[in-house]
Amino acid sequence: MNNPKDKDHSHDHDHGHGHSHDHEDAHSLLPSDPELRVKAIESLLLSKGLVDAKTLDELIDTYENKIGPQNGAKVVAKAWIDNDYKKRLIADATSAIRELSYQGRQGENMIVVENTPEIHNIIVCTLCSCYPWPVLGIPPTWYKSDEYRSRTVREPRKVLSEFGVEIDSQVKVKVWDSTAELRYLVLPMRPKGSENMNESELAELVTRNSMIGTGLPENVK
Amino acid sequence: MSRLHDMGGRLGDGPIPIPRNKNNEIEINEPTFKYKWHAKAWAITLAAGGLGEWNLDISRHFRECLPPKDYMNYSYYEKWLAGLTNLLVNKNIISADDLKEFIALVETEGTDFKPNQNLELDKRAWLVKDVAKTLGWGGPSLRETKINPQFKVGDKIRALSYSPNEDVNGGHTRLPSYVMGRIGKIVSYHGTHVLPDKNAHGNGENPMPLYTVEFKGAELWGAMAEDGEDSIYLDLWEPYLIHQNS
Repeated sequence: MNNPKDKDHSHDHDHGHGHSHDHEDAHSLLPSDPELRVKAIESLLLSKGLVDAKTLDELIDTYENKIGPQNGAKVVAKAWIDNDYKKRLIADATSAIRELSYQGRQGENMIVVENTPEIHNIIVCTLCSCYPWPVLGIPPTWYKSDEYRSRTVREPRKVLSEFGVEIDSQVKVKVWDSTAELRYLVLPMRPKGSENMNESELAELVTRNSMIGTGLPENVK
Repeated sequence: MSRLHDMGGRLGDGPIPIPRNKNNEIEINEPTFKYKWHAKAWAITLAAGGLGEWNLDISRHFRECLPPKDYMNYSYYEKWLAGLTNLLVNKNIISADDLKEFIALVETEGTDFKPNQNLELDKRAWLVKDVAKTLGWGGPSLRETKINPQFKVGDKIRALSYSPNEDVNGGHTRLPSYVMGRIGKIVSYHGTHVLPDKNAHGNGENPMPLYTVEFKGAELWGAMAEDGEDSIYLDLWEPYLIHQNS
């Protein structure tokens, strides 16, 4: 088995531990296999009673099964069907979203930006991975990628094109970089042909990416 | 100067790693956590944060302060784990010896290692019965103060051309380098919010006026802008900004 002292020899990829800086941070002691890294820290915290295993399970279950883009989809569908709700949503998104009982961590202060025939909005966090958890859940891997974080503010149209969203040159693009604790949600345009659909049918058309701005709602079949 | 996390506008990154299904269509229903260890890394970071020994700005700063080589080599949740490890040791919640002991244990026993969990929970531990309540409240950064904002909607501003952090050399800030020294316009005001530049170093909350500022593509990227009239909006605190006349 790996001996921590031999870690530089057992590494299958070089993290440059201890060589590129003049102090030895605790993280450089960690094993190279990330699964073992998690296991070491988790076991230590559990054995010291600092973390409750049931809390870990509850947190994971909450964001795998209860909080996710299905919440945001309900907000969007309601705004499409109820013009008064839409006005409240644009004026004070935090309160309007709370009407549907979505609130709290990483969504304490919400802003909703509306797509129109003239404007397309797209959300990014260049400094880390800020994302509106109560309405969209945990961000997808690409949202947290260097590529998305670096390029979206400089070439949003090219980024959108990679997602299959082609923006007409007459349409203005607005990029929202989440640099503070305000969290953004895009209100996409209601798809053509959806006039007779009810709220829950409409919610089915609302994709996660359409609420980030990197996609559009599903077409009406 | 800035750190590697401050990557907005950086050149050289390739295509966005968008997942595709077997029909080569964009996959939009990928699992919340790709691997079980991702979920665990995320959950232990949240649960350890629940001990109340640090705030969100401190934990962000610890991730940002990873040595550049590690920051670039680590995947997202590896950064979280490394930042968490350094925080736990720095805040004396665990010792480096504790860490070495458990690393040795899991390296011998593997991922099936079962730690003894029959100890009484630390009184700071985040209890399962409080999870929904704590998540539902979150950690609002808005603070009621009597501070009058110095800028109004429509004002022209210039972002500082250097890091606004006045306390710590290389300290935390939320002013990205791609707007430093650039001219923008105030488009909305959001009240006074905890200032990360202070809060990340345990120097108090020091709430300051927070604005949304609009920058034009042409102002940020010059002739290389995709469309000079496109807008980039950032949420910036008053100490990051100076009045720009005309």
